Amino acid sequence: MLELRKDIFADERDDNLKEIGKPTQRQDMLGHVTGTSPYFNDHMLQGMLHLKVVRSTHSHARLRRIDTSEAERAQGVRRIIRGADVPVNLNTLLSLINFGKDDEPSLAVDKVRYKGEPIVAIVADSEREAFEAIAKVKIDYEPLATVFDVEDALKPGAPVVNEVYPRNTFTYHETYDRQQLRFGDADRALATADHVLEQRYQMSPIEHAPTETNGSIAAPDTNGRYIVYTSTQALFFSVDTCAKILDVPSNTFHFIGGTVGGGFGGKVDTLTEPLCILGAMLTGRPVRYVFGREEEMQYGPPRGAERIYIKDGVMRDGRIVARNIRAYFDSGAYTRLSSYAAVKCAAHLPGPYTIPNVHGDVYCVFTNRTPATAMRGFGVTAMDFAIECQMDKLAHLVGMDPMEFRILNAYRDGDMKAHRREAKNTALIECVQVAAEKAKWPIREEFRRMSSRKDGGGARAAIPATPPESHAPVAAPSQQRTTYDRAPVATREPPPPPPPPSSPTPPRPNAPSHGATRFSSVFGTRRR
Amino acid sequence: MPVTVRTFTSSGDAAAALSSDRSARYLGGGTLVMRALNEGDISISTIVRASDHALSRIEATGSRVTIGAGVTFARILAERDLAFLHAPARSIGGPAVRNMGTVGGNLFAPNPYGDFTVALLALDAMVSVQGGLGSRDIPIEEFLQGRERQTGTLVLSISCQKPGQTDAFRYRKIARIKPKGGSVITLAAHLPVNGNRIVGARIALGSMAPTQIRARAAERALEGRSLDAATISAAAAAAAEGTAPGDNALGSAWYRREIVGVHLRRLLSGQE
Repeated sequence: MLELRKDIFADERDDNLKEIGKPTQRQDMLGHVTGTSPYFNDHMLQGMLHLKVVRSTHSHARLRRIDTSEAERAQGVRRIIRGADVPVNLNTLLSLINFGKDDEPSLAVDKVRYKGEPIVAIVADSEREAFEAIAKVKIDYEPLATVFDVEDALKPGAPVVNEVYPRNTFTYHETYDRQQLRFGDADRALATADHVLEQRYQMSPIEHAPTETNGSIAAPDTNGRYIVYTSTQALFFSVDTCAKILDVPSNTFHFIGGTVGGGFGGKVDTLTEPLCILGAMLTGRPVRYVFGREEEMQYGPPRGAERIYIKDGVMRDGRIVARNIRAYFDSGAYTRLSSYAAVKCAAHLPGPYTIPNVHGDVYCVFTNRTPATAMRGFGVTAMDFAIECQMDKLAHLVGMDPMEFRILNAYRDGDMKAHRREAKNTALIECVQVAAEKAKWPIREEFRRMSSRKDGGGARAAIPATPPESHAPVAAPSQQRTTYDRAPVATREPPPPPPPPSSPTPPRPNAPSHGATRFSSVFGTRRR
Repeated sequence: MPVTVRTFTSSGDAAAALSSDRSARYLGGGTLVMRALNEGDISISTIVRASDHALSRIEATGSRVTIGAGVTFARILAERDLAFLHAPARSIGGPAVRNMGTVGGNLFAPNPYGDFTVALLALDAMVSVQGGLGSRDIPIEEFLQGRERQTGTLVLSISCQKPGQTDAFRYRKIARIKPKGGSVITLAAHLPVNGNRIVGARIALGSMAPTQIRARAAERALEGRSLDAATISAAAAAAAEGTAPGDNALGSAWYRREIVGVHLRRLLSGQE
């Protein structure tokens, strides 16, 4: 039961809000409870073809030869799509906000980097005929050394997963291999702390497991446009991603979505739409591309696994004086959104606590695992799990009640956060107090009287002296190289797109509308 | 090649269609076959169905029960005379799967499924099958050992003796997700007692080998003894003997070997 504690921070809140705190009818609820909400897959169009992809059976392999000749002759096959048919066969999702280098093909060309990577798409009259044609595609793989562990991927000599990032780490601001946070002198504070506790936390990938699997239906419309019914949870993001990959202006598409049969972050990757539309362009027929359940579970992107090390210095009275965090985000073989997760994670350190010495290193690491993506609070959820486990262990170590321990270390209004911004509107102390009250968990009177608005600032607002770090120049990658790696120079240009598709050429009325200079406070300015 | 659906009124005709076509599969409730088709299994080109009422018959009034292969788990749960099979029936899937899934199909369900078959193996059931050459009864253990070769035959029914005492038959499914998860391991025990001694002990395990198997070493530890702490310990210690579990997302082979004795001990000592 929802309970609004209006007694807390009563003077800071306007109670005459129109929506907040008042019940409201969800606009899609009537359709859901009456079973009339339209989903993308409710559109059975006349003459619709079905697209299925041939997926890699290896986690890391060079593609020596792809033989589709027998599949082309198979019954019901209308078109085989290969990497060379994709107008811009290299993309990264966040290129739309000028963040990161294009690193992922729609269909693999020279090598595959994870098990299940799409290599060839088959458009056929029925799903069955597409499946039968898939069985006739012959692919000659040359297996390459694999790496599945984030720390192994950073060791010298590790296999290079993705040649766009030859050191197996995402490159921030075109220079840095990590997100880094330095506040005070954590090493010195750890040396003088009464207790030091270092722990390792390992998460697992988590699949979103939506009821409706990823999918879309694309159909030729009038005036050279395409209508696209899609399950995407990021409709305009998907429009622009498709416009880039297919090298047409985004007004070529009329995307219809909005009803998502379960997304949770797993439907932002725009995995089906580009190939689906390309299939419609190449055949002139409506095309449907839907993941099967096993595809969704095995090759649909999960929440990435993180490995987190936390080393804390705590005094006998319960004050945390230093927190050193190293986190590795397993991005899988391609960036998708994990680069952004690491930014969010670094921005969250050291949790909602005032700690005078913080040292954080957050890496986005490439491995030969299924690419990870967004999922509900990604970047923060796992780190919070680790931090709060650590808080319980620290409380136990110094013999304090875990609730009181959190109140003691909680940030308060006026404190300086590790990012050198003043903490405002803090409310952790009140949250813990109410949680303790609801759980009938006894906390001492002095902790019940503490407030986020008292005793903050002052000395706690100071920015401590932070020792400068000598920035070693970024060394040339020392990893084992394959003949397919690009030269290790810091090339900032994406490789040239593969040649345009053979006949029939998809319509390309105007020059693409990309290339504007944009600015982001997080990512900086960059021209694509 | 499109998938052909062939429906027959007699199970004999259906069996003949199955045995004459290697790409034919019998469709009972569809919880396995339709999943395979939807996921692109092109080894299936013909679906065979039979509307024979004998396949959905339950005879449970006497001491020996016969259950048609097409009987669903929902129907078993609705049958008071089959109370001893309610626990295994309820452990399968959710209501939708129990409404469609059948006893006959469960005999072919690969790991981590096939829990009902574990119960039937402990109960020493007979499987009645119809092949190209007519019908015959096969002990379930023999049936499971040759399961890969049974695709050309049609299961008509299963039959077994009702347990004499209600606590003589025990069943336990270990799953990570309750109530609908796949099996980490599944255990069933039939322990008929004659004058305080166990006579004819049968322990069956699921997910401990490619098919459901008997824990013969544990059975030997129980045979002829009373169910006391020492006997239970001996059986638990022998539980993993002769098993060959595999790794899957629900658990590793090592983990399965480690826990099978623990859960057998709990099953035999009546612990929750």
